[in-house]
Amino acid sequence: MGESWFQREFMNGRRLTFNVLFWGSHLFFFAYGWYSQFTNSKLAALNGLKFSVWTSRGAGLVLAYDGGLILLPMLRNIIRVIRPKLAWLFPADENIWFHRQVAYSMAFWAMVHTTAHYVNFINVERTQVRPQIALQIHYTQPGGITGHFMLLIMVLMYTTAHHKVRNQCFEAFWYTHHLAFFFMIGLYTHATGCFVRDSANPDYTYTFPFYSTEHCLGYESWRYTIWPGIIYFSERVYREIRARRATRLSKLLVHPSGAMELRIVKPSFKYTAGQWLFIQVPDVSRWQWHPFTITSAPEDPYVSVHIRQVGDFTRALGERVGAGPSVVAALTQAAMKGSEKDEKIPTSRGDFVELDPASSSRPLPVVRIDGPYGAPAEDVFNVEIAVLIGAGIGVTPFASILKHIWYRQRSGNLGSLRRVEFFWVCRDAPSFGWFQSLLQEVEAAQADPNFLRINIYLTQKIDEDMLWNIAVNDAGAEYDPLTLLRTRTMFGRPDWKNIYARMAQAISTGQYIPGANSQLKTTVGTYFCGPSVLAKAIKEATVESTSASVNFTFAKEHF
Amino acid sequence: MGNLIWHEWARYVSLTASLYTIWAAYFALLWRKFFWDFVSGIQRNPGGLQPAPGDAFFVSVIVKAPVIPILSIILGGVLVGLEYPAPFLKGTSIQRSLVLRPVLLLIQALIAIFFYQGTNGAIYSLVAAIGYSRALSLGEEMKDAKANKGRGGKA
Repeated sequence: MGESWFQREFMNGRRLTFNVLFWGSHLFFFAYGWYSQFTNSKLAALNGLKFSVWTSRGAGLVLAYDGGLILLPMLRNIIRVIRPKLAWLFPADENIWFHRQVAYSMAFWAMVHTTAHYVNFINVERTQVRPQIALQIHYTQPGGITGHFMLLIMVLMYTTAHHKVRNQCFEAFWYTHHLAFFFMIGLYTHATGCFVRDSANPDYTYTFPFYSTEHCLGYESWRYTIWPGIIYFSERVYREIRARRATRLSKLLVHPSGAMELRIVKPSFKYTAGQWLFIQVPDVSRWQWHPFTITSAPEDPYVSVHIRQVGDFTRALGERVGAGPSVVAALTQAAMKGSEKDEKIPTSRGDFVELDPASSSRPLPVVRIDGPYGAPAEDVFNVEIAVLIGAGIGVTPFASILKHIWYRQRSGNLGSLRRVEFFWVCRDAPSFGWFQSLLQEVEAAQADPNFLRINIYLTQKIDEDMLWNIAVNDAGAEYDPLTLLRTRTMFGRPDWKNIYARMAQAISTGQYIPGANSQLKTTVGTYFCGPSVLAKAIKEATVESTSASVNFTFAKEHF
Repeated sequence: MGNLIWHEWARYVSLTASLYTIWAAYFALLWRKFFWDFVSGIQRNPGGLQPAPGDAFFVSVIVKAPVIPILSIILGGVLVGLEYPAPFLKGTSIQRSLVLRPVLLLIQALIAIFFYQGTNGAIYSLVAAIGYSRALSLGEEMKDAKANKGRGGKA
């Protein structure tokens, strides 16, 4: 908010480039379709329909273009492979955003195309340029039938894809979106009725594609647009095959804060830190795949995800494995009691509890995982200083990254990475207890106190009691009373501009990393995961602080 | 699994259907045609379908004077005002009525089915009406405007 539509769309270099290229190409195709119809002497009879046919043909070409584009951002595996090479060219992590832009464009041009065709067909009927009535073209010919079906499918897909519906019932969105299969079939066969022709009757043949291109003068766009469809379909098949490879849920741990940790063993699964995967539990739901961030490091012998029981899927999963809300509450209490008794070591919130499959009536469920899928934090090791910022639930990918950094630090293989600044901005830290325990491990293992710095900002409103608590308990204690880390928790929102400005100053004077001085250009990579408002503020701070000797980069991850 | 709030989904379909119907009815003012004229109509060259004499009433309210498309535009406007909702309707009992909507949508479908351009709008109106009926049979209620706005929590 706060900035106008014009500022957002045109006053930003990248967005401006996108708008010019995206909408420019659309307008180009529209104009070309219009022109090619207008100047085609073979189609003189159709050109008697004037503006409506030029418009429908122009919009038809644009729709073919959109139909070819719409699946490209959904080719998840291909994007993951080409991402590292092409990250500079286009934001591969904005794939869903791009998918939506194509969809909006498709809705608009479908409106133009359909409106024009309604005019076309009534004029065909009136002039009898073809011996047909309008409703025959609409409801008995392939073009009309597939067109009307595609429109209906679009209504269902768009309405269930609205963020409100998607959030309250992901299934409605997920299942309805698979109508895309029929939509794409409709798109590829839309022109098989040979509507654009220079003969009075369609010139059908007995061989594929069952019409003669001599008299059927459509764009033949299916020859191009079918490839993304084929690739997407193959990718879905490949994902299915890959998901069926041997996978075993080896351990299930319940953390005192209520998070379940699933440790999965799948030897064929290779990933890098900061990536995410889809998980499926057939016992809970046969068809659903749910995305989760990987919390283990590639060096770990297992793949782990931490799941909090917040949604219906995760709750059902908890029930299935015998870690329902009541169990978790009991475990948490037991764990807390344990730690209270042992007051000499207040450094832990109680340990996690492993659920023993032998004690429950059912064995651990079968799980299947699909992935991994990309995230910008893969390239942490290419910069000298990495600033990792996690806000709220967005902190999860950094579990894996911090662990991974720790492993690489142990083996002395840090690339160009010299220092790590980790920021964790959250409303209430205790709800992420499992993450705290991980941070404790990482913090305790630090040999070089300057390598990793953890900064925790608590943004919740603090009442008087809590204030006193902190004031009394915090003073002189070895560990922070809230997070039980050596690092002190800070309160309120971080002042990013100040933080970055100070960092830039420290680096250029050589205080920050020994040996680095102004002759060497230092790159500080910021990796952020969290809400977009915060992303914007941080990005502005990085841009502002970039100078001749220090280069700040910024990357944001999406869920 | 999942808890689809039917009336929230039906609202999007209803908005789509009503906007489509308004757009279609506008074009029905320019290119006037009775949808059902193919029933025992005669195909002329040129001129297209000549409706059967029994359709005289519909020809007079769609082709001669576009009464039905105009009604459709008005009703579509009312529905959009109800669904969006228009500022002066926001929070009123009419705007929050889940019974009124399927009734209006069925009337809209009934009107739109008569002119050539209205078919899809009619079908989508039926879909929306089904959505609202499902919401009613599940006993859904439209929440207060306060609890019902914006992308809560997605700062």
